[in-house]
Amino acid sequence: MHPLVVQYRAVVVKEVRQTVRDKRVMALLTLVPLVQLFVLGFAVNFDVRHVPTAVVDRDGTVESRDHARTLLAGDTLDLKAEVRDEQSAEELVERGEASVALVFPPDFEEHVLRGSGARVQALVDGSDPVRSGVAADAVARHAALRASQHLREQARVRGETPPRPAVELVPRVLYNPELATAVYVVPGIAAMLLLIVTTIIMAMGLARERESGTMEQLQVTPLRPGILMAGKVTPFLLIGLVDVGLALSVGAWVFGVPLRGNLGLVALATLLYVLSTLGTGLLIATLSRTQQQAFVGGFLFMLPAVLLSGVMTPVRAMPDWLAWVTYLNPVRYYVEVLRGALLKSAGLPDLWPQVLLLAVFGAMVMAVASRRFRKTTA
Amino acid sequence: MSTAIEVEHLTRRFGAFTAVNDVSFTVGTGEIFGYLGANGAGKSTTIRMLCGLLKPTDGHARVAGHDVGHEPERVKERIGYMSQRFSLYLDLTVRANLEFFASAYGAHGRELEHRIGEMLERMQLTAIQDEVTGSLPGGMQQRVALASAVLHRPRIVFLDEPTAGVDPVQRRSFWALIRELAAGGTTVFVTTHYMDEAEYCARIGIMVDGRLVALDTPEGLKRTHAPGRVLEVRGPKLAPALDALRGEPGVLDVSRFGAGATVRVDPERLPGEALGHWLRARGVDPLEMEESAPTLDDVFLALTAGAQRGED
Repeated sequence: MHPLVVQYRAVVVKEVRQTVRDKRVMALLTLVPLVQLFVLGFAVNFDVRHVPTAVVDRDGTVESRDHARTLLAGDTLDLKAEVRDEQSAEELVERGEASVALVFPPDFEEHVLRGSGARVQALVDGSDPVRSGVAADAVARHAALRASQHLREQARVRGETPPRPAVELVPRVLYNPELATAVYVVPGIAAMLLLIVTTIIMAMGLARERESGTMEQLQVTPLRPGILMAGKVTPFLLIGLVDVGLALSVGAWVFGVPLRGNLGLVALATLLYVLSTLGTGLLIATLSRTQQQAFVGGFLFMLPAVLLSGVMTPVRAMPDWLAWVTYLNPVRYYVEVLRGALLKSAGLPDLWPQVLLLAVFGAMVMAVASRRFRKTTA
Repeated sequence: MSTAIEVEHLTRRFGAFTAVNDVSFTVGTGEIFGYLGANGAGKSTTIRMLCGLLKPTDGHARVAGHDVGHEPERVKERIGYMSQRFSLYLDLTVRANLEFFASAYGAHGRELEHRIGEMLERMQLTAIQDEVTGSLPGGMQQRVALASAVLHRPRIVFLDEPTAGVDPVQRRSFWALIRELAAGGTTVFVTTHYMDEAEYCARIGIMVDGRLVALDTPEGLKRTHAPGRVLEVRGPKLAPALDALRGEPGVLDVSRFGAGATVRVDPERLPGEALGHWLRARGVDPLEMEESAPTLDDVFLALTAGAQRGED
């Protein structure tokens, strides 16, 4: 056997033995990501439902009660309380007991019947923009619906053909027809968890060798830095692959994430992605003297990497200069591959730029880490 | 005797600080070479250069026939290194550590098994080969560290304070292993600050502030740097007599020590019997007087004191 192969195998075996022996690391690698995926899959939910709503009905007529009843019949708004005046409604919103307050003025029915522009006021708590946006939208859509119903009814009463709106929008949602958040979020969470686990494990592992003096012992052996790095990375590449497999299984069974695309492509992208995150972990370790520094350094990288990846907020919503930064972020490319392949069954013809960039990033960060490693030790 | 290590004008600077300053020496094959010095005297920096971990700023060194500055990889294949931290994977078993380090030098298959079996036997580690290294007492960890440093049968081993923090019994059996290695033809380069250990070395180099200030056999060093005879004296009314003794011709050094004192004299000018008469005449009677040999401690103190005076 070639000495380089012997050396490479020795490092792999040593890493596997150390990892398997350490129960905490094993848990960190397998159980923790699964539990987190499970919890976060439920917790990170952009679906807005059951918004507590206060109603001030100063009209007290059939028309006002019917309007409120039909509006509250949906999933979005729930009746929290009926109060007598605007001031008490505002107090409820202020105390956080209600997020929306509907106020019907005393002449609501009269205006509806006369067709002279009835008004209903909605007080919306804007502190959570997503929630208030959806709630306000629901109120507005319902008002528009009621208005067109009234127009048609009045036309029928007068014996005319009901007018049709000039433009009618018929949305049809592709890929995620129920607009379920989990389907979109779970691949992102998988990428994020993989990032955290692999970067930290690698950075801490190398920093530990330095702290305990085994790094110095390695340096007097003929083991070359490239072989050492390759051997250290290999077991975690495979663990990353297993982790993604587990995450997608949970995603499919629990959250209904479709597994549509080419899973071979997903596996390839996973390997390249984990190579990038492990390489970053190694690079961070060469920049730190202790395990603590490596840990802090890991977080300083991971936090922006997650925020600027499109996992939480779409890249399109970022200012231009910030969107440019995301081109340097492997998390972004991996999430794009996962979502593209799984939700849209996109293949290599669509996703090759992402896969290529992951490969480039992985190779580059490993090369820089090896180089820095050699420099810090020579 | 052929040469294992050849050092010429070796110098290493860190910025303005010179850690190793123009050091030259040679070590013969199969020799046990001791390297002594206070902390920060430049011992570890020298070892790190000889192991190919650190490039010399000036001068050069050949180890096992290869230049450490130009061919560090060649050097690394031919040497073993053990540091005072023992540097083992404490979370792995003894056997797993040996397997890893042996394969790092390219051993595999039956050859690997054979070498490990033999080494476990020799270091008396066979019974504990499946124990986790971190759970073992210091003395055993030390033997595991030595085993992993010599498993690939290096021609030269560098031991950097290998007995730091190990009890005297373990230290003695460790030195038996080192002598066994040297008897088998392995060159041993060892740093220590235990003077009793230094006595085991064939030759000793003493480092003070980055310079090699002395290099000789233990006997030679004592002859040159701690000459004279050492007499241990005991008796009544010793204190006033000793004070008077200090200025006498032929008295090199007087130091109190417990109830007695150690007196180093130039035997040409003041033979032991003359000192006995002198002390009895001043009321130290009954007098106990015993001759002892100068130790490397005396040598070391003389050299470091000399260096300090030279600096002032």
